[in-house]
Amino acid sequence: MTTVSVSHFTFTYQHRDQPVLKDVNLTFPDGKISIIAGPSGTGKSTLLKSIAGLYPEFANGDYTGAITIGNQNIKQIPATDFSGLISMMFQNPNQQFTMTNVYDEIQFALENRQLDPAIIPERIDDALKFVNITKLKHRDLAALSGGEKQKVALAIIIAMDSDIILLDEPFASLDRQSRADLLHQLTRLRDQKQKTIILVDHDLSGYEKVVDTFFYLAPGQYQIKQLTPKEVAALLVPFDNAELKAVSFPLPNAGDAADLVLDHCELKQNDTTLLTANQFKFLNNKVTLITGENGIGKSTLFKALTRLFKYQGVITYQQKDIQKIKKKKYLSHVALVFQDAEMQFVNITVEEELALSMQNAVHNHYSKDEINAMLKALQIDGREKQVVYTLSEGQKKKLQIIEMLIMGTDILLMDEPFKGLDINSLATVVEMLRTASQKFGQTIIIISHQLSGLETLFDYHIQFKNRQLAYKEQLL
Amino acid sequence: MNAAIKLFMVIVIGVEISFIQSVPLNLCILAVSCCYLLIKRVSIKSLLYLIIYPIIPATGLLVSQLFYGIQGPIIGWVLFTRLFAYVWLGATFTMTTNIKDLAFTLEQNFRLPSKFAYGVLTAFNLVPRIITEVQTIRHASLMRGVTMQLWSPKLYFKAILAAINWSSDLSQAMISHGFVEDAPRTHVEKTTIRWSDFAIFAFWLILVQVPIFVF
Repeated sequence: MTTVSVSHFTFTYQHRDQPVLKDVNLTFPDGKISIIAGPSGTGKSTLLKSIAGLYPEFANGDYTGAITIGNQNIKQIPATDFSGLISMMFQNPNQQFTMTNVYDEIQFALENRQLDPAIIPERIDDALKFVNITKLKHRDLAALSGGEKQKVALAIIIAMDSDIILLDEPFASLDRQSRADLLHQLTRLRDQKQKTIILVDHDLSGYEKVVDTFFYLAPGQYQIKQLTPKEVAALLVPFDNAELKAVSFPLPNAGDAADLVLDHCELKQNDTTLLTANQFKFLNNKVTLITGENGIGKSTLFKALTRLFKYQGVITYQQKDIQKIKKKKYLSHVALVFQDAEMQFVNITVEEELALSMQNAVHNHYSKDEINAMLKALQIDGREKQVVYTLSEGQKKKLQIIEMLIMGTDILLMDEPFKGLDINSLATVVEMLRTASQKFGQTIIIISHQLSGLETLFDYHIQFKNRQLAYKEQLL
Repeated sequence: MNAAIKLFMVIVIGVEISFIQSVPLNLCILAVSCCYLLIKRVSIKSLLYLIIYPIIPATGLLVSQLFYGIQGPIIGWVLFTRLFAYVWLGATFTMTTNIKDLAFTLEQNFRLPSKFAYGVLTAFNLVPRIITEVQTIRHASLMRGVTMQLWSPKLYFKAILAAINWSSDLSQAMISHGFVEDAPRTHVEKTTIRWSDFAIFAFWLILVQVPIFVF
């Protein structure tokens, strides 16, 4: 019996007033595929890692309630039996390996399970074959793409042959074809090997034919509920987003001014071409949105634009090859708001951080009072003496956006800047960005998966698809 | 040769030459190390680095001893050759031994807890990531108008912060792949210590004593 039951599960992170999940009661049936859907950052991964036995040990928080497998509470299962029972694939493909190459990693996992060394090589070959990646057998993990890493992670899980398989957004860095392949493998694992599979993903599309039980975690409700077939059908048409569909953008004219230009530029990652652009302009003084599927290379494009990633061809800024401009000078014109807010911090306290931005600002767009008003509008005022690393993720993001706006660079690239912001803060940030663009003429280029609440922000829309960038009129 | 015994041998010889002031001994060690590295087909470029890097500190030692030392020029030459002997001797281990082999033998033959063996191994595998991280941190700070030099404490504060996060990721990765502290594991690649390892160890150790008596 490998039914996983969660009862009266309440998980609270330290320094948070609200639990992230509150009195959750669920049963994931034996030998079936279940999915928990819901927006990012709502606690789906927290539940999954708790089932995997990694939380609370590796979380700044704790839970009450119980998780049971069959009749046994997971806290009472000996550690050595655990991996035979449950294995998990993480959201971030870079976080799940210990060794340097594919073969060693699988071997490491099987040795941990105390398998007879004589059968290990065969087991490894079978697992690689099952996922169709035999050719990756002796490759270095560091040289694999995100999608390949996820396939290797799945192969390890298959080799370990645990009864329950947990997958945290497993397809985030996969293209459609690989995604379809892997989903098919999951159904084979269920049907041929009777595995219990629990998936977490932010949307349900693509799962309708494969998944047996659907759960949904609605934002702000701290609860997960099982969906009826009717509700599933309703959630499967999220693209019927009337406001977003109605949005229409202009297309640029040939004569529009652009400082930042890709000129016969090619981005490659380990033999895979991510982007080829013969001549592509990012328009001045506008707010431009870049959309595209996960793992297609949007963040890599931003890294190339800020000289953090080596590319072929030429990128020019004000008609000059950016490689020929002094790095410090170039980055004072073109800055990146990193996806990870902590990366941006240089000092220790909020006060010092703001002072640094004001001191080094390229253009002094904001007065001290205006900055205080911004802090207040985003509810991070009164925290001047606080160490930036102790702020919550949302607060870090807000501080990061403010301090990068203060820098007043000509071009600001923002990688998923709205992640983890609540609706009110989102509206405030949108207002700030509009001001920066319209009043101060900043060029702002944004990568965002989230689109609702942002209809009024963007002037242009670039779609990143099939290794190409193209301006589009439609948002969806 | 067994990696751990090789490491032990290099350390023993290294300690010995710290106490013996003999230019011929240092030169013999240098010559033997050089032959060994050539046999093992270490690239000429790496060998050149082994000559270039120690030159400045070794010359510094020599010059200060020649001009200011009270024990005469011979000590200067002893120190000069000793520094090269250390570097080349060390290279016979580092340039011809896989860190994985060392970790495996320490775990299997020397009862080092597997937690340490794999901990060290993963830390070693993290090095390329640390380099990228340090580059990104420096880059990010340039965007805030701050130049972080390689010796800036802030750079290392941030790098250490990132490393702490990774260590948690790595532990989770190891656990999710079935690793349990102090639990028994099986081993596909069995490392063994053969009598020949000890014989080679003894052979070289005795050979090192020869120049001491000859010269």
